[in-house]
Amino acid sequence: MTGAALPLRSLRAAPRSPPADVSRLLWTAGIVAGASLPQCLKLAIWIPGLLAAAIAWRLAAAMHGWRLPRRWLRLGLAFAVFCAVLAQFGTINGVEAGSALLVVMMALKFLESQNQRDQLVLIMISYFVMFASLLTERSPFAVGYLLAMVWIATVGLLQLGRHGPLLTARATAALAGRLLLQALPIMLLLFVLFPRLPGPLWGVPSSPSSATSGLSDSMSPGDITNLGLSDEVAFRVEFGSRTPDPSQLYWRGPALSRFDGKTWTVSQGIRLGQNVAETIEHRGEPFEYRMMLEPNGRNWAFALEMPASWSGPRNLVMNSDYQLGLFYGAPRVSRLDYRATSYATYSAREPLTESQRVAFRRLPPDSSPRTRALVASWLDDDPTPSAIIERGMDYLRAQEFFYTLTPPPLGEQPVDEFLFETREGFCEHYASAFAVMMRAAGLPARVVLGYQGGELNRLSRYYIVRQADAHAWTEVWLEDRGWLRVDPVSAVAPGRVSLSSWRTSFDFGRGGRAQTTLAGANWLREAALLWDAANYYWNAWVIGYGPDVQRALLDLLGFEASRTERASILLILVVAVTLATSLALSVYLAWRYRPRAGADPAARCFAAFCRRLRRRNVPPRAPSEGPAAYAARAATTLPHAAAEIKAVVESYLRARYEPDADRSALAELRARIAAFRPA
Amino acid sequence: VSGAVAHRLERWAAGWARRRQGPDALAVVLRRRRIYILPTPFGAAFGTMVFAMLLGSLNYGASLGFALTFLLGGLGLVAMHHCHNNLLGLKLRFAGAAPVFAGDSVVFRIAAGNESSSPRYDIELNFGRHGAAPIDVAPGGTAAAQLLVPTQRRGWVVLDRFAVSTRYPGRLFRAWTWVHMDARCLVYPQPARPGRPLPSSSGSDGTGKPDSGDADFAGLRSAAPGDPPQRIAWKAYARTELLLLKQFAGGDAEPCMVDWDALPELAPEARLSQLARWCLDAAEGSRAFGLRLPGCSLPIAQGPRHLAECLERLALFEVASQ
Repeated sequence: MTGAALPLRSLRAAPRSPPADVSRLLWTAGIVAGASLPQCLKLAIWIPGLLAAAIAWRLAAAMHGWRLPRRWLRLGLAFAVFCAVLAQFGTINGVEAGSALLVVMMALKFLESQNQRDQLVLIMISYFVMFASLLTERSPFAVGYLLAMVWIATVGLLQLGRHGPLLTARATAALAGRLLLQALPIMLLLFVLFPRLPGPLWGVPSSPSSATSGLSDSMSPGDITNLGLSDEVAFRVEFGSRTPDPSQLYWRGPALSRFDGKTWTVSQGIRLGQNVAETIEHRGEPFEYRMMLEPNGRNWAFALEMPASWSGPRNLVMNSDYQLGLFYGAPRVSRLDYRATSYATYSAREPLTESQRVAFRRLPPDSSPRTRALVASWLDDDPTPSAIIERGMDYLRAQEFFYTLTPPPLGEQPVDEFLFETREGFCEHYASAFAVMMRAAGLPARVVLGYQGGELNRLSRYYIVRQADAHAWTEVWLEDRGWLRVDPVSAVAPGRVSLSSWRTSFDFGRGGRAQTTLAGANWLREAALLWDAANYYWNAWVIGYGPDVQRALLDLLGFEASRTERASILLILVVAVTLATSLALSVYLAWRYRPRAGADPAARCFAAFCRRLRRRNVPPRAPSEGPAAYAARAATTLPHAAAEIKAVVESYLRARYEPDADRSALAELRARIAAFRPA
Repeated sequence: VSGAVAHRLERWAAGWARRRQGPDALAVVLRRRRIYILPTPFGAAFGTMVFAMLLGSLNYGASLGFALTFLLGGLGLVAMHHCHNNLLGLKLRFAGAAPVFAGDSVVFRIAAGNESSSPRYDIELNFGRHGAAPIDVAPGGTAAAQLLVPTQRRGWVVLDRFAVSTRYPGRLFRAWTWVHMDARCLVYPQPARPGRPLPSSSGSDGTGKPDSGDADFAGLRSAAPGDPPQRIAWKAYARTELLLLKQFAGGDAEPCMVDWDALPELAPEARLSQLARWCLDAAEGSRAFGLRLPGCSLPIAQGPRHLAECLERLALFEVASQ
């Protein structure tokens, strides 16, 4: 009975195409793999291996009709990989472990995915994996790649979210691109306006495996070190209206005041406090600048000597060694961005306590006997501190001292050996030796680490300070002046201090001649500067867009307000802007989707044809008149063109109403209309 | 429990929409004021993910994290507008439904016309639990959705309220509207099993010679619902894809009367089923027949129109007119 009762149409319907399982799975696989690629490059090899295996197995299962793994097997696998991640990272907290967990769970989800819901969930996880990558990836290349992947994932979202058969990849890609382009204004406005917080909501876990580079917190002249020999960028600085001389570019880092005869280490009993900077008297004109510090694996920050004020994270403070740093937090693994004001002329003369006085003059009793003897002879001549400093500098100048990056190794009494035998060294040797001479003379002295100089990017007016610009100098305490910076290297290799840039290319060899080894063509150098400038602006305005820049922007727009007021202004703006863009979008889409006569291309062509007939005195087509009836009527008016009119109408009916009409039918209609030229 | 609550909520909302929108004609244009939109569960999950991304970005102060968060948030907003516009301005028209016998499924054809120059994707139709396969409507084109509704009883099946919805793009949102058009389809009584011979009009023994395969082949005609499958010309179907019925010139084509009173031993519905069977048998045998029901009768005649009229009388026998 059912056979007879089935309607004719359903019996005649074309057989449905086979389920597009494999093509949907392929879409999902491509997106999952592409989205996790940046993570996979960084994670231990077993994680991408697991993902690849899961994808390969699942695709093979779809093609061969294998059974999917049973529930207990899936649960067991999930537990196993969870334990593996925990074993590898020791935690599931933090960006790295979290990303690893996300990727392995994505692999397992892919393994068991069987319906549309699973595939959509996988697309969503892919978005989140890309988000996790963006927490650590900063390079424009990586970001460009991820942006392309977001697009592809959106194509997948549209394809896999479809109920009916998949559309062509091209049409869907265009549609996804349109959706993303329409989302772009919203993104830009929210990016600029959404209130940024100066600190984290919860702890930012440090990542133990993050590479550290940069200055170390101790210094042993005589041991060959690779300190500061790399071209890696330490930080970039953009000055405001005034720029200091190259010889004033001392970027202050930690002070080393404990000396055991060979090694200098950081001071003990460093105090923290907001008021340290207030004990320094600043004179002259201030230099205002914005610092963009690359991660250095420590909580140190650097500032032009001598900083007076700064803004940035709340825990950016100055310690009693006049060093800036995030001393209340874990070592910093991300970029630090802050503004500061410094004065080149200052006096830091907070009186020393008695214990400090002792500590800053301490020398191990049996160290450097020859240096002590030398200094004792100077003291006999003139015991005034300034005279001692002058004698020390004269000694380095007068003797045959050479500045070199490859000094010979030193033995048990490094300072004596350096001062009296090898006389070759770089900044560390000089700073250490000079501090020892001053201490031998009874003057409080210490070594300061930091950077000196920097390369001016002429294309965009900011300085790049590299690890190769790392430097060490000496500070001596004078009763009437406080801490005084003395850079003994300036006595030996003045070029090191005033030329400053491309230090690695200069090696002040014997005789103090600067041997330039500048290699490479000029244009290469220009290109490198241009690339660095692009990087700089990317970092300054996109990566570094934070509460400070936001406040500067608001000030510029005329909203001067306190922090909480600013947040509420911004939130109101966010809501207003979202509503406004939403409204604009709604109007735009209503226009795009408006009803149009002749939305069908064939109908449009035929309407044009009717207009042409009308010019030949065929009365216009009535709304109720079918195309065939109209054609018959037109043929009576234009009898000699009857055959052509009939042909056009036939093509039109075919192009418009045939269920399997394609582009060729439309092309034929166009061709016939174009060829229609009645006499 | 939540399912029951959702069901009651939906019924309440549907009732509210019906009062608000009023009844629709057989052709209706979906205007802005009657299109409703809510996030799907997947859309809610997507929103939660974007919120989690926002918290993560705030915590890590990650600018690029913010960028992706806002891009995806914007994508959600844009998808909402596209989802809404996917229905907006769609022209729905009831394109007919062929009568069926009780127990079979009615196919309601609803044509959707798109007068804009943007394609409409994944338009779904739902009537209670019954859904149509989603359709795409090309710019300036029309596509018909086929809504299959199973039947149990004879009478009218009224498509009193169906939902037109879409979850395109990306299944983040579901935009829908309820349509209350008077789309109806007749359901004939389920024919009884063949076997009981046709009564003869002359009131003789009632064992009028039934049509049999040994009668002369007389030709083919279009098959109609209710025709016995064993008489379909399947070879012709394979050739032409047209369902044709083999007709035979029976020897005794004397007219007969299909009479309610001839079956006093059967319950009313069973009686109607048997009468329907007789009507079909008579039409199949190309015999002229009449129908007599309490309160109405149709004169003896022949042909598909007559058959349809008789079946309609049977379908609507003592059915309160709606």
